[in-house]
Order: sequence, then C-alpha cells, then structure tokens
Amino acid sequence: MTQDEIVRALLDFIAADDASDDAFNEMALALFAYQTAHNEPYRKFCRQRGKTARTVKRWQDIPAVPISAFKDLTLSCCDPDDAERVFMTSGTTQGGVRGKSYHPTLAVYDASMIANFQHRFMEETPRIRMGILFPDETAMPNSSLAHYLALAKEHFGTEDSHYLLTGDGIDQVRLLTELALAETSGEPYALLGASYSFVHLMDEMAALGESAALPDGSRILDTGGFKGQSRELEPDEFYNRLSSFFGVPRESCINMYGMTELSTQFYDWGNAACPSVKSGPHWIRTRAVNPLTGQDVPKGEIGVLAHCDLAHFNIVSTILTEDAGVEVDHGFLLLGRADGAEAQGCSMAVAEFLKAAGG
Amino acid sequence: MIRAGYLPGIADDAVGWQTLSFDRGGPALEIAVPDLAAGQIGSLCGNVRQAARDRLKTLPVARIADIVDRAVARLLDRKDPYRQQMEELLPVVTGYDAEMVRLGLTEYLKTFRKPQLTRFLAEDFPNPSCLDGFQPLAKGGFARAHGPDCLLHVWAGNVPGLPLWSLVSGLLVKAGNIGKIPSAEPVFATLFARLLAEIEPDIADCFAVVWWKGGDAESEKSFLTQADTIIAYGGNESLAALRQNVPVTARFLAHGHKVSFGIVSKAALDTRKASETARKAAWDIVRYDQQGCYSPHMFFVERGGKVEPRNFARYVAGELAAFQHRFPNRALSIAEAGDVAAWRQAEEMKALGNAAAELMSDPDGAWSVVYDDSAGTLAPSGLNRTIRIAAIDRLDDAIPAIAPYKPFLQTVGVAAAPEDLFHISSRLGEAGVTRISAIGRMTAPEAGWHHDGRFSLLDLVTLTEIEQSAETAAENFAPYAD
Repeated sequence: MTQDEIVRALLDFIAADDASDDAFNEMALALFAYQTAHNEPYRKFCRQRGKTARTVKRWQDIPAVPISAFKDLTLSCCDPDDAERVFMTSGTTQGGVRGKSYHPTLAVYDASMIANFQHRFMEETPRIRMGILFPDETAMPNSSLAHYLALAKEHFGTEDSHYLLTGDGIDQVRLLTELALAETSGEPYALLGASYSFVHLMDEMAALGESAALPDGSRILDTGGFKGQSRELEPDEFYNRLSSFFGVPRESCINMYGMTELSTQFYDWGNAACPSVKSGPHWIRTRAVNPLTGQDVPKGEIGVLAHCDLAHFNIVSTILTEDAGVEVDHGFLLLGRADGAEAQGCSMAVAEFLKAAGG
Repeated sequence: MIRAGYLPGIADDAVGWQTLSFDRGGPALEIAVPDLAAGQIGSLCGNVRQAARDRLKTLPVARIADIVDRAVARLLDRKDPYRQQMEELLPVVTGYDAEMVRLGLTEYLKTFRKPQLTRFLAEDFPNPSCLDGFQPLAKGGFARAHGPDCLLHVWAGNVPGLPLWSLVSGLLVKAGNIGKIPSAEPVFATLFARLLAEIEPDIADCFAVVWWKGGDAESEKSFLTQADTIIAYGGNESLAALRQNVPVTARFLAHGHKVSFGIVSKAALDTRKASETARKAAWDIVRYDQQGCYSPHMFFVERGGKVEPRNFARYVAGELAAFQHRFPNRALSIAEAGDVAAWRQAEEMKALGNAAAELMSDPDGAWSVVYDDSAGTLAPSGLNRTIRIAAIDRLDDAIPAIAPYKPFLQTVGVAAAPEDLFHISSRLGEAGVTRISAIGRMTAPEAGWHHDGRFSLLDLVTLTEIEQSAETAAENFAPYAD
C-alpha cells in the first residue's frame, strides 16, 4: 500500500462506527507490513525479534517497540525531512535526548483526535467555552499536547475560548475573570491542561482565597500527570480539589492519557472513583503484558501497557510503554510508571552499578 | 501459616506477627515473621548474651564444631524432616528451580562438615585452641581470643543458605548470635536454628532468629544498640543507613553488593575446551540466576584462540538454552521482568546500529547473551541470566575495564594456563579483586574462603594478651618463689 492508500483507509476506518476483531487485525497487519517495508530500523528490530510481516498473523504478535527506542532509532516510513510535523517527547529523561514521532500528514492524527474527543469529552455538546492551561502551538511546535489542545479549541471551543498560560505562567487575572464570567453567564465552561498546571493554579487560587462554582455542564480535562513539575497528589486528593476549587463534580473531571508516541488518546468517563477505567476508540487496542516475554498477563494482574494504535501509521503502531496497568472490563486501569524491582540478591543491580561508576 | 524466626524464651503468642507473601508462579505461600516490641528486643538480646556466657563460652571449640557438624549432617540427609522442609519451602519462597536448590544445598552444606570446619578455624587461627584458653605466642606471652557476647547478623538476599557463613562463624567464636532474616528468604536460618536447638538443647538459648521490616529505624536501633559486633549484608545505601545507628564502641563489618566477572584466555578456547568452558560459564550464570555476589556480570574473552570470542558467546548462548530445560529460571515479578527487559532493550538498541555487537536471546526472555567486539568498561548485566561477553586482545586488557569499580569487585572466574593465571591474578588483586576461582566454581566458594578478602573468624574476635612481663613478674609471687 502507498502512503495515500494507507491514509485513506485509516480515515475510513476512523469514520466507521466500530471495528470487528478481524477488521482491526487486518488493518494492523497491513500497517505492520507497510512499516517493516518502509522503515529499516523497525524492520531490523523485528528481525532481531524473529518477526517479519510474513510470519505475524495476529496483531498481538507484532513486536512492540519500547518507547525508549524512539530516542535511539529514527522510526519513520517517510523521509523525516518530509514530515509535516515532528512531535517530540519532553526529554526529561536520558540526558535530554528526545523521542521523535514524524507525521508526513496530520490528517489521520487530527481525525483520530477529533472523533474521539467529541465522543469522550464533548458528548452531546457541539461547542463549549474553553480555557486552556498550556502554551499554544506557536510556542511549542513540537508538542503533541499543544497540537491536541489547539484542535480542541478550534473544533470544539466557542469563539471566546482562550489560552490562559503566558510565558510567565498562568494568567491569573484573565483566568479569574473567565471563571467569574462563566459563573454569571450560566454557560458551561471547560478548563483543559496539564495535570501539574492545575496543581499550580489551585495553589495560587488558594493563596488568593479564590474559588469558583462553574455552571452545570462545565467540565475539566487534565492530562499527563505531574512529571516532577509540581508536587505529587494522590488521584483522589487531586480530583477532590478540582471539584472544590471549580465546582465541577468529579464525574465531569476527565483525565486524558496520551503519549507523543501515539496518535490516539485514551479517556475515562470521569473520576468519581479512582483509579478510573481508561479506554480508547475502535482504532486502538491495549494489552497488559509481561515486558520481558511480551505475553499478556492474566486479566486482573498488573502488567506493562502495550498499545496498538492504527492511527500512528508512519512511525510504529505497536509500542511498549513504561506504564503499569491492569486490564479490566471495558478498558484498563492506569497505575503510574512501572517501577524497577528492589534488589533481592547480593549482586549489584544496574542502577546501583551506574551510581558506583558515577562516583 | 508457617512461622519463621526462632525466639528462645519468648512465647509465640506474646509476639506481633507480620505476614510475608510469596508467589513466584508456583504455589503461593504465606510466612509469618515476628515483629518484636522494643522491650522484647532488649530482653531477647540480654538472654542470648547471658546464655552464650553461661553455655557456649564454656564449650571447647572442637565441641561446637561437632554440634554444627551434626546439624549439617542432618541437613545433608534427604530423609531428614528439616532437609525435607527446606527442599519444599525454599523453591516456593525464592522461585528457584527445585532441583537447582536441592543440588545447591548439598554442595553448599558439604563445605560445613567437621573437616571443613576445622580447616575454617585453621585458616584464621594458627592455633584454634586460643578460642578455649590462653595459648603461647611466638613473641612471648600468651593470648586468648574472645568472640563478642552479642553478635548481630543482618542478612540479605535470596540465595538459600547464605546466613550459614556468618552464623557458623559466630558460633565457632562462641558469640551469642542474633540473626535478622531477609524478607526474601526467611526459611533457611529459621530451620537451621531450630535444628541446632533440637540437636543440642544445652545451647538452645545462645542464638535467636529475628526479623524487622527493612528501614524500620526504631527496631533497627534497638537491636544495634544491643550488639557488640554487627555483620551486615546489603546494598551500600542500606548499609550506610544501618551504620548511622551503630554504637561507636561496636564493630561494624559490612558486606556490600558486589560485582564479579570471568576471564577466558585463548588457551581455554581450542575446539574441545571451548565448549566445556562455555558450559561452565553458563553454569555460573544459571546458578541462582546471578543473584549472588560471586555471580558473573560479564566475561572477557581473549582473541586468537581456535574459537573466537563471538563464537564463544554463541556457545554460551547454546549452553544457557540447554540449562533452561534442565533448570528453568525462576518466575520474575513484573518489576523484575521490567528491569531485565530494560537492560535487554538497551542492548538491543546498541546492537541494531552496530555490527560489532550482537544480542542472542531466548524469545521469552529466559536468558540473553550480548556479544561486544570491544571490552569498553565492565558493564552490569540485567541479572537473571543475562550476560555480556566482550572480546579483548590480551588478558591484561580487562584491567582498565574494571578499574572504576575497585571497591565493588569480588570474584573472578579465570580459565587460563598456570603462568597466565598467576600473572593476571596479581593484576586483578591490585585492581581490588578478592577471590579467583575456576570458571564453573564462581558460585561455590570453598570452605574457609575469605569473604570479600576478610577473615571470617578473626574479624569477630578480640584478643586478650598476657604479656611476658606479667608472666615473669608472676614468678616473684609464686608460693615456691625463693
């Protein structure tokens, strides 16, 4: 298949109401064949794992690329120089090396985001007034989250939606004005942004003695966790605080789980109870696996999450995350970063060794 | 539920119990471990100290060696109920293959029979009777060696039987022994203590097997303040934390985590010997899944033999695959699997961009061999049957590769001709290595070895010397003095 054919097939796939197991499998295998044909590092990686497009018959058997490999390998079917957009990870680990995802076109990414966002965040509402706690795309052209939020604003925000983050941080005055306006107008309002920005925002509001009671139908979308950018809050505490500072019930506080290494996002149906069940649309599937064997762990047991995202067609569709999770009915629970084991023996483990070498 | 620990003089129901769960893919098991209150810790240590003074210290050391020998003989008997419990419980607790545990126990326990114990004593004391009474010194005068009244062992790790080294050392120097079992393997020390008490009720109060939660500073402190001498095993961070609470007057003997590796000379790489060397190297890797301080992280292999280093790496991979059938690796927790996977992924990435490197690996991750054309520096393996094999031009090329790790080096398995063996050993010794063994014997130190280059018994004792002046002066006061 050519890139154009792939893109057309994926747009149709996304536009469909649902996908059967067979249809998903067929599309995943077609993409696997496309990616191994056009992406040499991935082909070598698969060969090293003893897998080729000819031998793999189930999407579950497609070798999952660990996300750390996005930093070492150029994973792209198109010439990276021809990419319309490159999304990069924040580069907080591995000495600032950033993992890259090359997009020859954003058509599929955008279609995936829009269809899914409408279904999971907007539901019946066509547009809502938005306040965005994140820099815009001009400030962060390589941030997939900045693009995601720009799409949200463009396709689902009313005209008077605003970015509330400036170079100096949260535009407090603007934000409080927005909240007050929403309160008096009675029109639902949506706040969207990085989880850690909400922590900073609530701390600032607490210092000012401010809080808001947003009208019915208002909602909040947070994403990305705290990443060392703010203090860590337990999920229950975080959503309790969101709810009390903005008057938005916990069931209207949606957490989005997304990654630079994917073109599709996962959502929960609110956070009345934590951890909430996350799920994605019919063009992405998730397994909880043993990271060493790549095999599914028994349902209900903790594994590491592996995603097969058909929309991530130019890079690799099947990735192994560093997130621990549990498969449950209708989705999975996200349990945070998969931690290493404590040394059980008296032989030095890698982490200790590196520390020793560093002095 | 099975209870671990051995607490002479304290009733089970007077103690708080915590539950440790073991689920290693096979049958799940729960073991209760004692969590003593501060007052109980004080009285337990006091009792053990007193009993050691009253009983153990009055026995000749040969008698103590007899008692240990009898206990070990029982454990070597596969029909003995204690041995049977060990064979049943240790694989469940540690996850190691049952047959590997059984073979390992026998091989290990054999090194604690009477002749080996005698050798153990002779290693450290030219005249072991100095543990029983004053013995003449070459320089003049007399000396007697005294073990501590209260010796605290802080054991770590999940390699079955490790506590035996220090416990037997403590008994031979007639110390009152308090041993803390590791949460990863609470079985062996418990059973050994109970067996010892059954065999020789007279000394049943001279030792105790306890537990506290790692990092429980309060319990830790209560035990540490009672001890005259502490032998502690563990990572440097936990040892540093322990040391903070060690009384200034107490002796603190620390055994941190260690790094071991192997060196194969081209002499061991002719077509016949190479496969034998590879099999033995694989055995060192397979034994207890590299959890021991003596387990290899890496092999340096000399170029120029009939079998080149890259092929040697393939031989080792083949042997690891074969061992996987006979002694399958233990089931890893998801966190452990994640660590091994992270190591393998990193190696995989390096190998992808580099023809000089190669990753050979079991599809299910049971073992991995990384071959590297250049020695670089000593690099850690991911443990659990993962090994790096690097080519060197000359044996001496291994020395700069290990230099940064001097305080952490322990065992080196060497396959080389005698002249090379002594040459490289002297360089390795300068670099910080304390034990050189044959490849295939890395994980089985011989009786009387000097763990981390130290004296197992001598480090525990204090000498009392009667100087010649006192002896001479005494003559003046003798009833027969003229």
